[in-house]
Amino acid sequence: MLTKFFLFSTVIFSSFIISESLYKFDSVEDEKRFYSLIKEIRCPKCTSGSLASSNAPVSEDIKSKIIELIKEGKSDQEIKQFLSDRFGNQVLYNPGFSKDTYFLWFAPGLFLILILLIFFFRKRT
Amino acid sequence: MTVLIRFIIIVITLMFFSFFYLYINDDKYYPGADFTISDMPDFEIKDLYSERLFNIKDLEGNYLINVWASWCITCRVEHSFLAKLDSKDIPIIGLNYKDEAQDAINWITRFGDPYKYIIHDYKGELALDLGVTGAPETFLLIDGKIIVHYRGEVNDMIWDDVFMPIIKKESLFDAN
Repeated sequence: MLTKFFLFSTVIFSSFIISESLYKFDSVEDEKRFYSLIKEIRCPKCTSGSLASSNAPVSEDIKSKIIELIKEGKSDQEIKQFLSDRFGNQVLYNPGFSKDTYFLWFAPGLFLILILLIFFFRKRT
Repeated sequence: MTVLIRFIIIVITLMFFSFFYLYINDDKYYPGADFTISDMPDFEIKDLYSERLFNIKDLEGNYLINVWASWCITCRVEHSFLAKLDSKDIPIIGLNYKDEAQDAINWITRFGDPYKYIIHDYKGELALDLGVTGAPETFLLIDGKIIVHYRGEVNDMIWDDVFMPIIKKESLFDAN
């Protein structure tokens, strides 16, 4: 009976040994920032997955780098800039407005205008 | 009016297909190649065989940096091509990426050493600054500036289409 109890409690309590959080932060705000950042940054090795969804070695490296940068007191914008300098604009889900991306930003508006025009002319005839 | 709409629908469909036809058949399009010019980041990394530290001042002139690891299967495929480049006296610096030193040394002993020297980036720190996402990756540097960053295996085709035009233009490595 005692052995059974011992084995049972070993199984139950052993999970607490490994339940310590993987990443260490100075404050709760830093932790929140980290978890929102990794959702906004794409894993460069994945077709379309965020860092949060990826266990690729490079994603793990970037995650530890982000923690390091947060601890150094870098802003979210600076961290994003740091990563897009290295891995290109495609690591950001929300690409900035530049000559490469203007079509991306204007296309929905253009299509809307086109559709409205067709609709407008159709009504007249 | 319906004629115009039909016309627009047909034109859009044709544009769509011709766009993808051209996109797929574009031989010069290499998704792994990045031609953004940037500075080589500063670093301090140990030699694979010794405790000697390398930094940016040890790298001079024009050379290739090849990111490899003993756990990387594509690197094994690429290796014979690197040997070919080495036989043409093109300096290649090996960046051993996230690898145990002993595994890397065994791998080099077994398959040959095309590298001028090998730096051991165990934690992948320099690799992160270079924007490396995995192995193999190859960089072409001219006077300390990164000119080409290629993600993936370099073979005859990639070499001729991605690297050679720049090497010829700049007449590097005796342009061979």
